[in-house]
Amino acid sequence: MRCGMGIEARQVNELFINIDPIQAGGKLTADAMKAVIAYGDGYSACDNCRKPNRLDYISKPPIAGFHRDVAAWLNMDTVRVIPGARRGFQAVAHTYVGKGDPVLLTSLSHYTEFLAIEEAGGIAREIPHDPSHTITADATAAKIEEIQREFGRAPVLAFIDHVDYQYGNMHDAKAIAKVARQYDIPVLYNGAYTVGILPVDGRDLGVDFVIGSGHKSMAAPAPSGVLAATNERAAEVFRTTAIEGDITKRRFGIKEPEMMGCTLMGATLVGMMASFPSVKERVKHFDRELEHNNLVLKALLSVSGTKILSEFPRHHTLTRVDTIGSFDTVAESHKKRGFYFSGALEEKGIFGVIPGATKVWKFNTYGLTAQQAAFLAETFVTIATENGLAVTQ
Amino acid sequence: MRMILRETAPLHSLDNDQRIQAQRLLENLERQVASLKQEMLK
Repeated sequence: MRCGMGIEARQVNELFINIDPIQAGGKLTADAMKAVIAYGDGYSACDNCRKPNRLDYISKPPIAGFHRDVAAWLNMDTVRVIPGARRGFQAVAHTYVGKGDPVLLTSLSHYTEFLAIEEAGGIAREIPHDPSHTITADATAAKIEEIQREFGRAPVLAFIDHVDYQYGNMHDAKAIAKVARQYDIPVLYNGAYTVGILPVDGRDLGVDFVIGSGHKSMAAPAPSGVLAATNERAAEVFRTTAIEGDITKRRFGIKEPEMMGCTLMGATLVGMMASFPSVKERVKHFDRELEHNNLVLKALLSVSGTKILSEFPRHHTLTRVDTIGSFDTVAESHKKRGFYFSGALEEKGIFGVIPGATKVWKFNTYGLTAQQAAFLAETFVTIATENGLAVTQ
Repeated sequence: MRMILRETAPLHSLDNDQRIQAQRLLENLERQVASLKQEMLK
């Protein structure tokens, strides 16, 4: 099937087990697929927009209720929907960071946090990770002290990635936030890999903002996400417009400058809403996801020379592995070089490992059924055996 | 149907429950196609 000139219908998730590290949590639910078709037209969420003319006030479809429900689910006060987590970083950074201000983030932070700081004129200062690629509260305190010595003041904002994108390691966000709060630093919790994947309680974490990614972790179309805030911070980041035209004297009601007015007006928002009941339910079963992940890791570790670079045992399904001592040794003499590995995986129905990668690579088992996890585990072992690698039982 | 394909990829070996569900979905689809034929092509 074609969607148009040169656009083949995508069937990756129907034909393969997809273990792409960033795609696992964003696969749509059946209801979201229906919503994408029904609300694909531009501005389709706006059919029943009435005064005060803002997205989060629309009650049909129940967008207003969705905002309230997400806030309650995250145990925060106020929520706005945003076109991706990065736009949340941007809105918060633009509110708190001025030219030359130091901003705290980590040596495992996502690049879009750096860009948000850069755009606001701030200066990035990273908390170093320890040898196990973990960010600790002690390292946070030491970095803040160092920043105070360098700038004569504390950072104006702290970004904390609860689970980082590089190793999928879980960092003690609550303890890190506690340290930051002792210096009166607003804390932005980056939940791109947690919100929609496992339970998140913003108030318990003691953070000012919780940001989630719809397309990464909430079974929603891209670009989508949520920005949740405490009441105190909501008044700052979600402040309303005060500008007035000098000729027309036009003003713009309760539109919010950091949101550029309304944000998601169609399939992205309604898709995220349609998946929300399933997402709320699935976060309660994250232990099952870890079981599937462990099954696959056990199989990978049975291939002699394979190492897990992420923390182990795992607390998240996004995992970084080192196969220099196993699958990469085959690449040295294989006619397809490193591409033999991704090729063999694809032939057996596995998608998502970067083509050519045999040294260090990432994968994510989130959302696989038990049968698929077992199939994936068996496939890694089969490819190892077929290529003469030693496998222990 | 798309979800069943996703849940059973790559082998698409349906268990008994999935077969029943697929059967139900396909029958429903056939009814809808028949209804469209009747309404639009009359």
